[in-house]
Amino acid sequence: MSTATQSSLPTTRKPIDWWRWAGRFTILLLLIFTVLPMLWMVLTSIKSQFAALQYPPQWWPAEPTLNNYWRLINPADSIGREFLRYFWNSFYVSLITTILGVVVAVPAAYAFSRFRFPGRTFLFFTVLVRNMFPAVVFLMPLFLLMRWMGLVNTHGSLILTYLTFGLPLSIWLLKGFFDNIPIQLEQAARIDGATRFQAFLLIVMPLSTPGIIATSIFSFIGAWNEYVYAYTFLSKQESMTLPVGIQRFFTEFATDWPGLMAATFLMSVPVVVLFLVLQKYFVRALTEGAVKH
Amino acid sequence: MTIATERAAIAPKAAEQPWGIGLLRRIIDHRSDYLYILPALLVMLVVIAYPVYYTIELSFFKTPPNLQMKDKIFVGFDNYAAILSSSSFHRVTINTLIWTVFSTGFAFLLGLAAALALHREFAGRGVLRAVLLIPYVVSAVAASYVWKWLYHSDFGVIGALAVQFGLTDRPINFLDNTTTVLPSLIVVNVWKEFSFAMVMLMAGLQTVPEQLLRAAQVDGASAWQRFWHVTFPHLRGVSMVTVLLLMVANFNSFIIPWIMTSGGPAGASDIWITDIYNIAFGRQRYGVASAYAVILFIVMMVLGYFYVKALTRGDEARAG
Repeated sequence: MSTATQSSLPTTRKPIDWWRWAGRFTILLLLIFTVLPMLWMVLTSIKSQFAALQYPPQWWPAEPTLNNYWRLINPADSIGREFLRYFWNSFYVSLITTILGVVVAVPAAYAFSRFRFPGRTFLFFTVLVRNMFPAVVFLMPLFLLMRWMGLVNTHGSLILTYLTFGLPLSIWLLKGFFDNIPIQLEQAARIDGATRFQAFLLIVMPLSTPGIIATSIFSFIGAWNEYVYAYTFLSKQESMTLPVGIQRFFTEFATDWPGLMAATFLMSVPVVVLFLVLQKYFVRALTEGAVKH
Repeated sequence: MTIATERAAIAPKAAEQPWGIGLLRRIIDHRSDYLYILPALLVMLVVIAYPVYYTIELSFFKTPPNLQMKDKIFVGFDNYAAILSSSSFHRVTINTLIWTVFSTGFAFLLGLAAALALHREFAGRGVLRAVLLIPYVVSAVAASYVWKWLYHSDFGVIGALAVQFGLTDRPINFLDNTTTVLPSLIVVNVWKEFSFAMVMLMAGLQTVPEQLLRAAQVDGASAWQRFWHVTFPHLRGVSMVTVLLLMVANFNSFIIPWIMTSGGPAGASDIWITDIYNIAFGRQRYGVASAYAVILFIVMMVLGYFYVKALTRGDEARAG
């Protein structure tokens, strides 16, 4: 991917470049559309309940307060205890999903990239087509399966589900990265006496770190945000993840909009930070496949 | 590209002998290769293949609400007939088509506009792209609650702004009105996913050869002509994949309507997946819900066919 060579057309001699202004205007509108809801979420989260429920609204909080946040992260408070619990559950499930996902996807992607075994194309297309299935197709039978395995209300049910559903994309992405590592490097290592596994571990793995980071962010964010399965598999309060648990805040404190906005803000922080730090890899993971293959 | 051709030369395809003894031999020859995919294959068999099979099986049975599946009764295609002939299915399908077509269309157009505007290098371009992508990264649950608050019938900021600018004389009840609810939810969905189209198309724009654009300019083509005759044809493949992925995602939408309206009011924002969820987990009619899922599954397979075709076109061109 050549990011360096951007549009460098000789500048037009026309006095006003209407297209450029149209572009700026478009960006401005899209920026407003994107940012305003997030801004209003933050502004609401630093208002008191009383200040939030006013008409016409307080455009800017007259007495900004962090109380909504303190309450959520205070382990001594009953709401805080519950929120921190969901937060930890989400983190735990997402982390384990991500690690196991890499462990399972790397060898599979390596095989799809390097070997020519029968059934390879067929398997690969099933891997891709999986993304087409509606989640509900799996919901009912998986629920029955998890019940049969005694995994309902455990994090195991979520980890197993997320891990598997993330695999097609992880394998597809990693295969793309492995494809770009010249096989000669491995062959040279093999000639020098390395086993296939050693060549893989010492040559291929280090070179495909960007791919592994990209797939990891994807599975982490996917697991962190997942709602449908968590909503169906978990009914015990202490095992709930954030997207499901947050609903309890909504019903219990039906009109506490500032509290809910603070909770959605805290819930978004980890994924947004992860995305901003590793943006390059995330974007690559998103577009790989569709553009290059 | 060069690496791919080198690799093809090093690992030439085994003699094509698709079926019979030859295939068996090749499988045995490659037996150790399968070890690498075994873990992935195993979990996918349990978590994907088995549920697909079981859904198809259940779709032919009347199931007891208590989930004691050994008591199920074979009813043939009755479940399918029940769904296809029900009036609610027609209404929900129309909602789903409106939801999918408008969400996909607007997300694609906004994404294209953003991609074109951000294609040129300028200071702050990376920051802008990152900010526009945030809605795509945050959870749909969080987005749904935030927008529910924005649309609030008494204290919602959108209604208040509309009054402020003199568009209406009192706040609008966006979500409790059968005519405004679906467009309001589509706005949320577009907000959430347009930057996906943007990123895809930005990557696509990088594949447009600079020389062609310059040549067109030298020949006197206007900006619009350059876009329409040079840029756009190069974006066709990416556009197809993007539109298909958006369509699949939108047909499978659940979270936004479920959290914001639960399909209401009066079913005005009910779409396929919320409907199935209600049939299965609300009314405990798993057989009917399974048949419903199989119908969607067939729709997705048709889309999936075009998806794989669009994705592999490049590969075939390279190999051929």
